[in-house]
Amino acid sequence: MEFIQSYLLPFLYAFVASAGFAVMFNIHGAGILICSFGGGLGWLVYLLSAPILQSEISQSFVAAITISAYAEIMARIRKCPVTGYLLVASFPLVPGGGIYYTMEHAINGETEQFLASFLHTLGVAGALAVGVLLVSSLVRMWGTYHHRRQTSGRGLRRHG
Amino acid sequence: MDYDRLLSLSANLGYGLLESGAEIYRVEESIQRLLQAYGITQVDPFVIPNCIIVSMVTPEGVTMTQVRRMPSHGTDIDLLERYNDLCRKLCREVPPLEVAEAGLRQIDENRRQYPAWELMVAYMVAGAAFTLFFKGSVRDALCGALCGLAVGLAVTAMTRLRANLFFKSMVGAFLSALLALGLTQVGLGQSSDKIIIGALMALVPGLIFTNAIRDVMAGDMMAGISKIADALLIGVSVALGTAVALGLTRLLWGGG
Repeated sequence: MEFIQSYLLPFLYAFVASAGFAVMFNIHGAGILICSFGGGLGWLVYLLSAPILQSEISQSFVAAITISAYAEIMARIRKCPVTGYLLVASFPLVPGGGIYYTMEHAINGETEQFLASFLHTLGVAGALAVGVLLVSSLVRMWGTYHHRRQTSGRGLRRHG
Repeated sequence: MDYDRLLSLSANLGYGLLESGAEIYRVEESIQRLLQAYGITQVDPFVIPNCIIVSMVTPEGVTMTQVRRMPSHGTDIDLLERYNDLCRKLCREVPPLEVAEAGLRQIDENRRQYPAWELMVAYMVAGAAFTLFFKGSVRDALCGALCGLAVGLAVTAMTRLRANLFFKSMVGAFLSALLALGLTQVGLGQSSDKIIIGALMALVPGLIFTNAIRDVMAGDMMAGISKIADALLIGVSVALGTAVALGLTRLLWGGG
């Protein structure tokens, strides 16, 4: 029961919310389900990693790596650009709450809390970006390596 | 071969890709691959979020350049996938230019889009689900759906009026926050912060920020920096819109 409360329901909410965004970005057919599953998956990883990492920034980082890998794999399978899958799947991880509370502290004139939540929000956004980047850089490097081995075994030498 | 038409074809394809929300490197690579498939060896595309420049040298040694200005645009994944498929197909099969142009025109004419009411339902569903996601109650979710609808209507109306991105986000944020606070005051909603956050997720520029960092890291400095500026301005305008609504309601009925 506790599992349902703390993991399954948030997963479902993230899934449904992502489906809404998938429609907003004009994704049709099975793509909607695949993209929204990515959104749910990212949040599930975020929640499941909480007991081990105990830091929202690290959790976002791990979740970003997961959805990014998921998006790359799905893009390869369906031969589509990665952007769509990544775009929708990362929505639940976006620090919307952080932005709101930062703003609220700002208009209440609570400078210290404002700075703390501002830096925290920036940290989460940065962790997301770095996580996504890590996977996409690795995938591109792997692609280049593969491509070169296939096309020219010796052509590489020219560049030293 | 008619190199003028070839250059236009590649610029049009790049324009279509960028317009539907492709990453900078994808646009540059697609233009390059397409022209190389048609036998041009020296190709230099340069793309930033609002401009495409393609320069190439024909086998006869003539340099040709085309510049395309990109107005502000949204994201259309369906269109992006179809342009991307077309580009792959052209690079693989290298059909005559007429066939390639017809393919491009066909995509542009047969855009698949959701009808307006389905989009509004999507905004409502997303707003409600995100309110629950941020631990709001069921009644909050109902308000979240209404506020999501407000965001959706505001964004659609402002897009029709060709308002700029910042004004659009600000008005959307203001209206939905005002509605959330009003519904909470009336007693339907329980925690206005969760409703506001849930509905605002559709406006938050988290993703532009992520993409911007990716561009910077990929070496596309101009694109990355202009997108970061974009994300910061949208973030500030969303916060500003919400702040105005909060301030206004505090003046009207205090507390909040």
